[in-house]
Amino acid sequence: MSRALNSLILLALSVLVALPLLFILLQAIFPQLGAGSWQGAFSALPRLFADDTLLPMWVGTLKVGVGVALCSLIIGLPLGALRGLFRLPGGALWDLLFLVPFLTPPYIAALNWTLALQRNGYVQQLTGLDLESLLFSASGITLVMTVNIFPVVYFAVSRALMASGQRLALVARVHGASAWRAFWHVTLPLLLPTLAGSALLAFTLAIDEYGVPAALGARAGITLMTVGIEQKLSDWPIDLPGAAMLSLLLSLVALAAWFAQRRLTASQDVATIGGKPATSEAASAGVWTLPMVLLFALTALFAVALPLCSMTLSGLLNTLSGGVSGTNLTLRHFAALFSQQGDALSAFSTSIGLALGAAILTGVLGFLVAWRVAEGKSRALALLDGLALLPAAIPGVVIGVGLILLWNRSFWPVSPYNSLAILLLSYCCLLLPWPVRYVSSALRQLAPTLEPAARVHGASRIQALRLVVFPLVSPSLLAAMMMVFAVASRELVTSLLLAPAGVQTVALFIWRQFEQGSVGQGMAMATLTLFASLALMLSAMALLHRSKKL
Amino acid sequence: MLLTTAAMINNAHALTVYTAGPGSLAKSLATGFEKQTGIKVNIFQATTGKVMARLEAEQASPQADVLISASWDTAEDLQQRGWLLPYQSPNAGKVPDAFKTADYVAQGISALGIVWNIQSGTPEPKNWQDLTGPAFKDKVTTPDPALSGASLDLLIGLQNGEGEKAWSLFQQLKENGMVISGPNAQAVTPVLQGAKAAVFGAVDYVTYNNIAQGEAVKVIFPEGGTVVAPRPMMILKSTQHADDAKKFVDYVLSDAGQQQVANAWLMPARTDIKAQRPLITEIRLLPMQQDGSADRASVLKRFATLFGQ
Repeated sequence: MSRALNSLILLALSVLVALPLLFILLQAIFPQLGAGSWQGAFSALPRLFADDTLLPMWVGTLKVGVGVALCSLIIGLPLGALRGLFRLPGGALWDLLFLVPFLTPPYIAALNWTLALQRNGYVQQLTGLDLESLLFSASGITLVMTVNIFPVVYFAVSRALMASGQRLALVARVHGASAWRAFWHVTLPLLLPTLAGSALLAFTLAIDEYGVPAALGARAGITLMTVGIEQKLSDWPIDLPGAAMLSLLLSLVALAAWFAQRRLTASQDVATIGGKPATSEAASAGVWTLPMVLLFALTALFAVALPLCSMTLSGLLNTLSGGVSGTNLTLRHFAALFSQQGDALSAFSTSIGLALGAAILTGVLGFLVAWRVAEGKSRALALLDGLALLPAAIPGVVIGVGLILLWNRSFWPVSPYNSLAILLLSYCCLLLPWPVRYVSSALRQLAPTLEPAARVHGASRIQALRLVVFPLVSPSLLAAMMMVFAVASRELVTSLLLAPAGVQTVALFIWRQFEQGSVGQGMAMATLTLFASLALMLSAMALLHRSKKL
Repeated sequence: MLLTTAAMINNAHALTVYTAGPGSLAKSLATGFEKQTGIKVNIFQATTGKVMARLEAEQASPQADVLISASWDTAEDLQQRGWLLPYQSPNAGKVPDAFKTADYVAQGISALGIVWNIQSGTPEPKNWQDLTGPAFKDKVTTPDPALSGASLDLLIGLQNGEGEKAWSLFQQLKENGMVISGPNAQAVTPVLQGAKAAVFGAVDYVTYNNIAQGEAVKVIFPEGGTVVAPRPMMILKSTQHADDAKKFVDYVLSDAGQQQVANAWLMPARTDIKAQRPLITEIRLLPMQQDGSADRASVLKRFATLFGQ
């Protein structure tokens, strides 16, 4: 049965990931692929290396990727550890706040920061502080990206600690270790796979990110690889093979990082969840509760409130040139959203439906992949793992092109192309790495004896999975599914390329407003959808909470 | 549920139009056409680059019937590849010869100009050269010509009109602190907020739309001349709905269609339709480029080297 399941997973991964990537590879090698010809193989390769902007672009991308991963660890690790170990007042609320960066499309986040920090921006208008030179620099790009990406580390760390409880650290305390020593020598090393996994995810997200470097990089004089790829696709003549080549190079970087992460953590046994009953009650922080809350508040102020205010303000200003003043405030941008023949509303429901579908599909498949990979040691399973991570390393626009090349063929009897299903496929492909990463680091903390113990006591394989393994990893899985939902509900790059004629999603709607010069209306829509999605997630969480209690 | 929606979208009788912005124009043209003929139109709207990338990737099984691009070159190129269905609309009589061929015809025309923030405290620029003065030190942005075909057309037009003098203009702009800021919208936003005072070479219709919304900016067409970007409209040879596609082209060039083009702050392709903005006869033009994409690549490279990108 397990073999049948493995084949089924492999089939799903092939359709979702391997086939589109194969077509990108083919496109890189055979420039005439779109026209159905195999001529001129490898002719794009010498052109790629003849380009003298390649090296600085590559180095710049690496620097930003490493910088974002480090900064995300610096912010995400302490916050995540505090959240996971201690009773934090309003815990779920802080989680929700740190989801806001995910619900904000990166290009809007970059625009929010630009409108806030550039010369004569909101911050200067209100406080006189001019931060333009910081914003438009390599550090500025890294910081803005970190603000959007650090929640990856925060959620991974806090969920891992919540699931594993503090039994081993308590043992250390009982034997005389100080609280700090117990954390440093027990808790932290056990977190290593989680840290490495989430740092890897942060790194790949950063090098794969397009919106922020596109918005800030041009002014900073820095071109990152995603922008380089996009450039090959944005002016006539379109250079598909060149873009595909460059993407392959980018995915090699991510693959190298993945190998490094595997080597780093492969030999360690970090199982913390055995059969012994453990209270997973978080400790009280005592007098440190207030400073802890202040630390969370400070982070939320900078990472969440500032860009959010910038966004809402832009939606409320009658004109940008009018500046921040009481007479320049209006609700007309919000009102206009409801008067456009229901466009905004239908875009919203399309996006929410697709995001929900993507969260469920990637959640199920991601859990299965992680579970199978954690159980076996074979090479074939490592292949599954690698395959499921690969999309994180490929820029969205290239996955979009790969999906067109794959599905827009007359030989398919039925094709998802030109229907909403192609968007669902692309979101699932892009976001599958999230549940896989989160669940597999959670699984590595389960003692390998747990499942056999259940089997010995007469549970069937399915029962052991359902009653033992699944409940223990479900916090991580849910966190990942929330993130998938958040990202899918505002995905722009592949939607722009793949949306069937006549279909709008939220991100497309907003982007089209910007393109027509209606910054106010775009921001109004962004604000409204952000709060609507937050409300949706909040009620989903409340429902889950209630059903647990019953 | 997704599949039934898919089936509905894949309506075999609908006409599929791929178009570069503005989206509101595409939508109103589709609605007007549907009202007149009963033929449903599905719009795919994106940047010229995205539209062309999709067209290129879709070659194995083309989806688009009609294509409206924002760059004349794309039409020339597609025609040379033999992708286009020749069609002369009876409504194209009043379109100037420069803006039509046997295979494609302009839908509307935009021009490039200086976009200037009235409240910026700088003197109103009259010519490109004015942006190199001390009043505009560190206060000018420009769209990236690598991302915007129209922007590149301006560089080429200036080079054709003034030769090496054009390059010393770019040099002076660079020394005066002009920055390159991505596509058109990204160059204009800082000027709206007042971070910068002027855009060198912005697409005009977007800014006219901003002005209509109350923004304190102005579009200035320099005395030295500028370039226009006609937006070619064409029917693809692979279409299964050639008759409907022709009807659509006719509709866009009809009185009603051209009026909608004018309402989107573009210059109508037909000379006999009024617009609420300067028309092509009122703008001084630089000599159009003769030929050659090699020329485009070399101009782009020289500009990129100059600005150290």
